[in-house]
Amino acid sequence: MAKSLMIVDDSATMRKIIMRTVRMSGLEFSRTEDAGNGNEAIEKLKAGSIDIVLCDVNMPEMGGLEMVKKVRSELPDCADTKIVMVTTESSQELIDSVIADGANGFISKPFTPEKFQEKLSPFMN
Amino acid sequence: MIDQICITDAFLEGAKEVFETMIFMDIEKSSEPEQEIEGNTLLGSITFKGDIEGNLVGCLTICCGTACAKIIALNMLGMEPADELSEEEVRDAIGEVTNMVMGSVKTRLQDSVGDLQVSIPTVISGRWLENSLGEKASKVSIKVNIEDEYPAELSLLYRGTFK
Repeated sequence: MAKSLMIVDDSATMRKIIMRTVRMSGLEFSRTEDAGNGNEAIEKLKAGSIDIVLCDVNMPEMGGLEMVKKVRSELPDCADTKIVMVTTESSQELIDSVIADGANGFISKPFTPEKFQEKLSPFMN
Repeated sequence: MIDQICITDAFLEGAKEVFETMIFMDIEKSSEPEQEIEGNTLLGSITFKGDIEGNLVGCLTICCGTACAKIIALNMLGMEPADELSEEEVRDAIGEVTNMVMGSVKTRLQDSVGDLQVSIPTVISGRWLENSLGEKASKVSIKVNIEDEYPAELSLLYRGTFK
């Protein structure tokens, strides 16, 4: 079954770059959404479930770390939604923390199509 | 304690990683240390701070001409040279480049300096732009050439001590 994708980043340019890189990776999605911060993302998730969310960490209003916690604690309908952080943050402590809070993976910026293929393929079936 | 050579190396390597991976452009240290960027420029800036003990605060910037900034944005977005981009899109791209270079530098220096907290990037435009952290700030400045055609400057100002 075709999957849906949401890209969450405060940079409109970065959202386009991520979308382009996802296409270059060969992964296909039936529907794509985007959001400029955690608040917007949560509103869209409440409106309809998304299979995979690619999410930045540092964003105004609500960052990615807070968004992950809220999705996992307040949106039970999104229990199956996979959340993968896409960020320049690289400390192992942060990675461990966000995974413990419910994220399903981590992709560092700068990224390549191959990295998206590697990290997202397990969630496509 | 980390020295300026390590910071310079990490900075240049971090920038190369970003430019090669995301922008598909070469970036090399310039052989002309006095080169200036002529005309209108864009300066992407991101601030950082270390743990309280070292009182480290700093600012990393990337400055290039507007023509260069447009090419960077077009390449990042996979668009053609003749395609149009808004000023906002170009600024956004430069902000993201600054953000990613900071991330790459941070990763390279992490074992030496510990964790750094970084801000959201800002981008300004104008002529003869430069950043300042006031007196007693140390500065690492690297003049570079992008695609052997566009001069640019990478600079890192900091006060306090790296671990």
